[in-house]
Amino acid sequence: MLQLTPQAMRIIDIYDDGTHARHFTFEPKGFVHDEPISIGQFFMLTLPGAGIAPFTYTSIPDKTGRFNALIRNVGHLTEQLFHLKIGDVLGYNGPFGRGWPVGLIEYKEVLIVAGGCGLAPLASTIDYLIDHSHAQSITLLYATRDSASQVLKKERARWSSNIKLFEVFEVGGGSDHSGLPTQHLSHLLNKDERYPDIVLTCGPEAMMIAVAQSCTELGLKTSDIWMSIERRMRCGVGLCGHCYVANSYACKQGPTYRYDEFMALESKTVAFEKHQNLFQYC
Amino acid sequence: MIDAKKIVNNQYLMNDLGILKRHLAKCYSIVQIQKDVDGENLWTEQFSDICEPLFGHDHLPLTSPKGFLFAEKEELYKFDGETFKTIVPQVQPKVLFGVQACDLSAIAYQDKFFKHDPYYQKRRENTLLIGIDCESPCANGFCVQVDAGPHVKDNTADLVLSRLNADEKKGSSEWLMIAQTEKGINSIKGLMLDKSENKHLKLRKKLLEKVRSEFADYSYISNAIEYLNDNSVPAQLWEELSVRCLGCSGCTNLCPTCSCYSTYEVVEKQPDTPVSISTEVKLEMTQSKTIRCWDSCLFQGFQKEASGHNPSQKAAQRVERFWFHKFSDEYLPEFQRYGCVGCGRCEQTCPGTIGVHSVMKRIDQQCCS
Repeated sequence: MLQLTPQAMRIIDIYDDGTHARHFTFEPKGFVHDEPISIGQFFMLTLPGAGIAPFTYTSIPDKTGRFNALIRNVGHLTEQLFHLKIGDVLGYNGPFGRGWPVGLIEYKEVLIVAGGCGLAPLASTIDYLIDHSHAQSITLLYATRDSASQVLKKERARWSSNIKLFEVFEVGGGSDHSGLPTQHLSHLLNKDERYPDIVLTCGPEAMMIAVAQSCTELGLKTSDIWMSIERRMRCGVGLCGHCYVANSYACKQGPTYRYDEFMALESKTVAFEKHQNLFQYC
Repeated sequence: MIDAKKIVNNQYLMNDLGILKRHLAKCYSIVQIQKDVDGENLWTEQFSDICEPLFGHDHLPLTSPKGFLFAEKEELYKFDGETFKTIVPQVQPKVLFGVQACDLSAIAYQDKFFKHDPYYQKRRENTLLIGIDCESPCANGFCVQVDAGPHVKDNTADLVLSRLNADEKKGSSEWLMIAQTEKGINSIKGLMLDKSENKHLKLRKKLLEKVRSEFADYSYISNAIEYLNDNSVPAQLWEELSVRCLGCSGCTNLCPTCSCYSTYEVVEKQPDTPVSISTEVKLEMTQSKTIRCWDSCLFQGFQKEASGHNPSQKAAQRVERFWFHKFSDEYLPEFQRYGCVGCGRCEQTCPGTIGVHSVMKRIDQQCCS
């Protein structure tokens, strides 16, 4: 039987990290993670009195079970969450979903395209690759609305000496750093230099699709592009029905989808015109 | 789906269903279709013997018995300020007496969907299903088209009742009762019953053919299912249909297979004092309950995320989604049947007249032209 009741965890550290974003460290209260957690999986957070929502592990649990999450204050639940203090107790269910394809990204040239808070589920991936001596093969393109919207400052500072890091801003930024991530892809996918074998992207859905399309136009195979489609969720176990993508549930078959799989799912229903130009950075 | 063991020759004849009901009432509370004060047929828990039972063979109520297994609203767990505790549903054994074939097919469908849901299963384990064969097509029903009726499908009920003969002068009937499961057999232990013969089963089969032949020509539904699965329904048609969707959730609430839910929190006690940041002090925390309730994929905000992004922003997307979930072949490997059981309740209730008949007719007309 599924266990819908959360386990308790305590906030043990909080610090602000970018506009309206905060870094939380959680510690299990009276439980141990009973299954290994993969990079790119997610957990459900229950905030008593406020609600339930999915969040991603910015770092997967360490030996003590502690883990981090980078959370932007954008909705009702996160508003309440930002009132909490160190020591407060929350509910935890997880891990859920399919993470990034670990076996496919080692020993490969990896291009990571993150938008806004979409960097959060990729942070553990970057750390994983660095820890496994693959830092040289990582290129990170990080796009945000403006410089104030950037998150994971400490992590980026740490990574900048190891990996190739490009930061772009929709608003502001010098001539080399302005615009949408898609405008910078041709430069990064230059065949004269080391060409990526695989692309991982997470950010606003419209951004991920635009990135995937651009990468395909620039010569990458659709099966080499992976995206994290996190949706509104109420359970994480395929019951509440909210996170559907055609006949799949993002909480079970996702949130990591291969671009060709995602397109195959999308093609099962009618293609309505969408406003794809607007990247709703979070 | 009920796990039926090899059960042979558990078929009986009865003239008085009251005997069966009174016997079952010793161990179960009886839930059956009754008229409410407005004269509406409703699944109702029977607390006394006074109510004259209506039987399902010609009285499909607007609401299905879905809520007795997948509760419309229920508490999942509570938070006492330190820990979360499951609220196990307190359920008494119930018998759903006289469930029609379509609703039984829907229960079998939800049994699969909620196979690992502890709340659903707790109710389900404590429920005995008594199916009843329909004797005539109902107003909006097309169970034949989606293989859900009009006679109770194998292994969807514990006991099946089928009326073989009715003597209107005497006001009596002869019933065939088939016990399909161990649970069903156990439920009638202690009853003195006459065994039926092969001829009675043959008669049931004959009656089934008769009822099947009385259904109107609903071939437009089968045609539309094909068009839906070809993905050949144009976006424009969904746009036109969706203008009529009020997002009222009538269809999803009445649909016996719809299972989407949302959750909300009820605060039972707010902290009296400001929360201390010192971990040395016992913290005064919010105490709350988490409750789940039926939701609807036709609500505008069903998929809307906090950022404002809504993957199903357009009503047309949401309307298409509903029908995709009911008729897509993609769900067959998991459920071995469509998500629609042909009860026609959505047609009956939809204020915008985009229930199943209206929609499937439009699809058939537009796609074949």
